[in-house]
Amino acid sequence: MKRLLAGLVAVAGLALSIGAQAAEPVRIGFSLAQTGLFAAAAPSQLNAYELWRDQVNAAGGLDVAGELRMIEFVMYDDRSDPSEAVRIYEKLITEDQVDLLLAPWGTPHHFAVAGVVEKHGFPLVGNSAASVQLRDINPGNIWFPTSAIPDRMAEELVAMMQSQGVTSVALIANQLPFSLEIKQFLVPALEAAGIAIVVNDEYPPDIQDMTAMLSGIQTAAPDAIVALSYPSDSVLYMNQAREVGVNAPFHFVLVGPTIDFFAGMFGPSLDGIVTIGHWSPYKTEWARAKPFFDAYVAKYQTTPDYLDSALAYMSCEILQQAVAVAGLDHDRLREVIALDTFDTINGPVKFDGVSNATTPTSFLQFQGGEAHLVWPESIATAPYQPKEAWPQ
Amino acid sequence: MADLLSTQLLFAALVTGALYGLTALGLNLVYGTMRLLNVAHGEFVMLGAFAAYWAFTLAAIPPLVALPFIVLLTAAAGLAIYRGLFRGLLRNPRLAERIESNSLLLFFGLSIVLQNVAAAFFTATPRALPYLDSIIRIGDLGMATDRLATLIIAASVTLAIVLFLRFNLLGLAIKALIQNREATLIVGIDVEKVQRMSFALGFGLAGLAGGLVSMLGQITPFMGFPYMITAFVVIILGGLGNLTGGLIAGLLLGVLETYGVALTSTNYRSILIYGVFILILVLRPQGLLGGRRIAR
Repeated sequence: MKRLLAGLVAVAGLALSIGAQAAEPVRIGFSLAQTGLFAAAAPSQLNAYELWRDQVNAAGGLDVAGELRMIEFVMYDDRSDPSEAVRIYEKLITEDQVDLLLAPWGTPHHFAVAGVVEKHGFPLVGNSAASVQLRDINPGNIWFPTSAIPDRMAEELVAMMQSQGVTSVALIANQLPFSLEIKQFLVPALEAAGIAIVVNDEYPPDIQDMTAMLSGIQTAAPDAIVALSYPSDSVLYMNQAREVGVNAPFHFVLVGPTIDFFAGMFGPSLDGIVTIGHWSPYKTEWARAKPFFDAYVAKYQTTPDYLDSALAYMSCEILQQAVAVAGLDHDRLREVIALDTFDTINGPVKFDGVSNATTPTSFLQFQGGEAHLVWPESIATAPYQPKEAWPQ
Repeated sequence: MADLLSTQLLFAALVTGALYGLTALGLNLVYGTMRLLNVAHGEFVMLGAFAAYWAFTLAAIPPLVALPFIVLLTAAAGLAIYRGLFRGLLRNPRLAERIESNSLLLFFGLSIVLQNVAAAFFTATPRALPYLDSIIRIGDLGMATDRLATLIIAASVTLAIVLFLRFNLLGLAIKALIQNREATLIVGIDVEKVQRMSFALGFGLAGLAGGLVSMLGQITPFMGFPYMITAFVVIILGGLGNLTGGLIAGLLLGVLETYGVALTSTNYRSILIYGVFILILVLRPQGLLGGRRIAR
């Protein structure tokens, strides 16, 4: 009997140790701009990462080719400095020896770490990056799920304006790389479409007052206003356009409207504004979209950023589905990410080279406080509505 | 081009100028009386804005009601920093000699600490207040209520401080300390007290500016830096330590920001502001109203 007991204890011990081995977590590394210039933008991405991790862990763990393992994050602050991100990704791969990687925030950081993952042949699904130059990165190790690439955006925006009978446009742009890159493609596209550019102004990122510029737009009275703006000047634009009383039926504001505080700050004034974005929770065909939105709101009491949070979560979904098939082997993972089609909150995603080949370049419009896809019509969740005059 | 005679431009220039003047006034008081360069000034604007945000979000206290408390709060923080960091330095004559450059480093450290503490406690997620968002229209002029309130409060507080410095005994003592430190000591003014009050007033004004800007734009732990830079440009333009000069320079910057841009293009905004800044420094190195005694 004693022997039997001893044997049982030994077996139990063995089982425990096997159990402990099986529970070894999958370590996923990334850097984020927790301080510095981009710090205000990064939480929308980190929130999506943490929501995904918690959901996966609550469901028993990450499916690594059939075996369930908990997810553990290894995260560093890159201080908004791309060269710091390079050092961190190098360290994550060589010293920390993480199993998987997630992306840092923003286009410059994606460019910076692309070289590191290429050197080590380590697959990385990017997210919050958008530039035509992304297409010049060697394919094979990094992928970009966004479809908001400046040249395609310019084409689609002009097509959308044409569909609304726009003949004249006032164009104002913040002098930052992303907005200027869009402008570079937008101006020739507008000219080719015969849409007159009646105001064409640029302004520095630290602008404090737009009254003079907006008075100029008011005098020109265009059909459309396109503000290629960033969050802080988007706030300035919204406040002062309303104050000056600049109205146009087609009203585009680039970066800002999809951030949670915007809807809270502007309420009904936000209705009618068109903005960048290819995801909406109201797209019922994308079965995962609304549950993601609801879980995010429940966890953080704010709405996700329709662009960055959605992209960050998509990149996690793609990685998760690839790991379920390929396990953690880098070569196998690269192959699966490059060839498979993934089911995301933004619908099916398949890559062609480094780019998302399935998600159309789209635009959102705020209607009754909700962000609806209004362009292209093939994926719209609501018909476009001309913007009414600003509420007083 | 925008109509230069429009009341809309005038309103914009006044709002911007009043806010610049107010932000710079606090910085100037601390520099003028103690030769301390408070590069953390913008962080106290940020803290004021967050105080207004939390008062509104957690306790439904409107920013305009919370303003006096915000001023008291940041003034108290100013006092604590004075006691904790600077009183000893200012007392020690050998350290006091190097105070101007040392204060720069100390405040720089403080600014980074405050930014990151705010990011840790409040998260870096941008926030904003839906408050006073109606528009008042008089003829062609549209005025957002929050901007009108900002103009009225910033202008009246600035005026009140100018009067305080002219007619109140403590105010006069502050002015005396700015003009001539040695003489102030000789005539028996309690310099320690005057320094303490200037610190409290300077930091309180930063908090006030923060409470006001919380109504106008997004609130983040990193929002303070541009306010600090603008305030520096304003007080250097006006003459370091010269309070009236600072107010004129604040207004000048507001006018440049609106009329200068209206006459040229928004492209030239920074060129105009920093161009005029450099030009004035070349022509009048002591600033617009700075005397030789102060601009050393």
